Amino acid sequence: MNKLFAVIRREYLERVRSRWFLIATLFGPVFFGLLMFLPALISSREKASGDASKIIIIDATGVALGDRVAAQLGGGLSGTGGQSKVQTVRADSLAPAESLATKAVIREEFKGYLVLDSGTVAGHRARYSGSNTTAIFDMQQIDRAIQHEVLGMRLEKSGIDPDLSRELTSLNVNFTTERLTKRGRGGSGNVSLFFGLAVAMLLYMTIFIYGLNVLRGVLEEKQTRVAEVVIASVSSTKLLLGKVIGVGAVGFTQLVLWMGMSFVMWKVRAPILAKMGAPQMPGGFPDISLATGLILLAFFVLGFMFYAGLFAAVGATVNSEQEAQQAQMPVVLLLVCSVMFVQNVLLTPDSALSRTLSLMPFSAPIVMPLRMTVAPVPALDIAMALLSVALGAIFTTWLASRIYRVGLLMYGKRPSFGEILKWVRQG
Amino acid sequence: MPELAIEVRDIAKRYDHHVAVRSLSLNVPKGAVYGLLGPNGAGKTTTIRMLLNIIAPDSGSVRILGSPHNDPKLVDRIGYLPEERGLYRKMQVHRVLRFLGELKGLRGADLDRRIDSWLDRLQLRTNGQDWGKAKVDELSRGMQQKVQFIGALLHDPELVILDEPFSGLDPINAQALKDTVVDLKRQNRTVIFSTHIMDNAERLCDSVCIIAQGEKVLDGGVAEVREAHGGRMVALGLEGAPTSAVQLVLNNRALVARADDSNRYLEIELAAGARAPDLLTALVNAGASIERFELVRPSLHRIFLEKVGATHVEDGMSGQG
Repeated sequence: MNKLFAVIRREYLERVRSRWFLIATLFGPVFFGLLMFLPALISSREKASGDASKIIIIDATGVALGDRVAAQLGGGLSGTGGQSKVQTVRADSLAPAESLATKAVIREEFKGYLVLDSGTVAGHRARYSGSNTTAIFDMQQIDRAIQHEVLGMRLEKSGIDPDLSRELTSLNVNFTTERLTKRGRGGSGNVSLFFGLAVAMLLYMTIFIYGLNVLRGVLEEKQTRVAEVVIASVSSTKLLLGKVIGVGAVGFTQLVLWMGMSFVMWKVRAPILAKMGAPQMPGGFPDISLATGLILLAFFVLGFMFYAGLFAAVGATVNSEQEAQQAQMPVVLLLVCSVMFVQNVLLTPDSALSRTLSLMPFSAPIVMPLRMTVAPVPALDIAMALLSVALGAIFTTWLASRIYRVGLLMYGKRPSFGEILKWVRQG
Repeated sequence: MPELAIEVRDIAKRYDHHVAVRSLSLNVPKGAVYGLLGPNGAGKTTTIRMLLNIIAPDSGSVRILGSPHNDPKLVDRIGYLPEERGLYRKMQVHRVLRFLGELKGLRGADLDRRIDSWLDRLQLRTNGQDWGKAKVDELSRGMQQKVQFIGALLHDPELVILDEPFSGLDPINAQALKDTVVDLKRQNRTVIFSTHIMDNAERLCDSVCIIAQGEKVLDGGVAEVREAHGGRMVALGLEGAPTSAVQLVLNNRALVARADDSNRYLEIELAAGARAPDLLTALVNAGASIERFELVRPSLHRIFLEKVGATHVEDGMSGQG
């Protein structure tokens, strides 16, 4: 037991003392800060950027719809009038007007041009061409302005007083989302999406970084030949276990430090956000219960054990960094595979794919926490996922210790897959 | 029969494409300095790894200090310096030694005291400089080797196993190592080391075992081995070049099996049935002016060459330390 502790302590202290650890620990919260402030910044962008009114409106409707839309884009009748340039043309001279407008956009005098014609008045179509078509919120604003004005025109046409019509059509519904869970209201949908993504990425990164760290550690002992002295004093299983626990503890320390620092940043976020010119984060932080926090940590610990065993086994079969690059691919792919489906899980947390991935030992450590933060998951599913990862971790540790023992003292040629299987059988 | 530190019965180890050790038996008495000699690739390292239970023999049994070699308690009583040497490069020397000590069950102030005393003893800590505070990377190869040697001896083991301890050491460090081995012997520790440098073996070892191609060629006390192979060799020193009459005697196959010219004297192996006095008489009768006529015991080097044969000796073999 003392020897296992000696191995754990060496692995832990040598890493925590390194400059790399210090840098990563300090840099982490900056990253999470971004993750935290980004939603706020983005939500501030949910209002159109103002570019929506910097356009040419080519009006071939003959009923001055262009002026009405321009006024609407500029903030309505009470607004400042905006900068949209309205060009009234006849329906048959649309084409030359469009080519002139295209040149103006290319000269960057305007963001784009909007074509309104009789089809627009009939409520069928309107066209927009411009350099900012990907600015979703701007496009939405233009769209809404057209809909609004066409509707207004129709109401007036059917004899409703223009003032009344304006009053009737001036809708500004502020649509927000809020998550409902068994424990009550759980913050805005957007925030829990970001939070889920952050948790999944955090788990993925720490498992990946520290898994590779285990591989490097094993490789170092092989390359420096120190393995033989160590293996003469302590069993290979203890050495492997000590390494995995020691490195895992470094990851755990870093996670806890990161969480602590993030919490402090969260507490002092208001002045920082104000300085950045962003409004308060909407909806507040998803409130994570202690039990959920513990389950997330359990997924980290078990998921790390699962992958660390595999990475250690890889490390024992290779002799150089280059060989390691190749040999680690299958393990890395397994890990990346679960991240590849993150979007699917976020969009459809209860689909068969999401459920399956959240129960497989190789993807559960990342997918299940993600599912848990975006949708209610039955306790049985969580328990099954934890059990599955735990069994997987026991299996990979067992497998690794068998490969490790033989591989550690093998230099020279990289073993074939068949040879590795033989080691496992003989172990 | 003296008490045995190591008792090996018929161990064998086969790999896919070759046999590393085939049926090897050894007895190493407690308190002895024992040399495991053999050319490169003879199976010395494999044998040592099997002694330490780092690799399992395919067959046979090993008992160390009275227990089966897989007894987990044994590891703390053995000190081991492997042939493939290395340390954690980025670690401070003192911390590496602490780690190695902890792996042998040492702890706390006692461990620190031992480390310091060894660093002093092997001059890694002098008035001007404390290499214990340096990183392993900053040490020369010879110094790193000393650190590893310390790592193997920190816990004051009853049995010390050194695999090719002299390779890569300069004469000063080699002497420091030899002195330590002699010290260990005085403290009644058992030391077993492998080498292909016969000179060191001859000077340090009480007993030796020569192995080649995974098999024992001979073993026993150094004196006995040399005795058993002695008595047939004559060192003959002549004044000036041998005359034709003397040459005739030397070519007489009834008296001389072989004569090697070692420049300053001739090393003569007597023919079967011939006696040294007969040769001396014949030489005197031939009018040889003799400066030296001595019955010598062959060196381990000669026995080694004779027994293992030049064909088993690979490049890098050296007879002299």
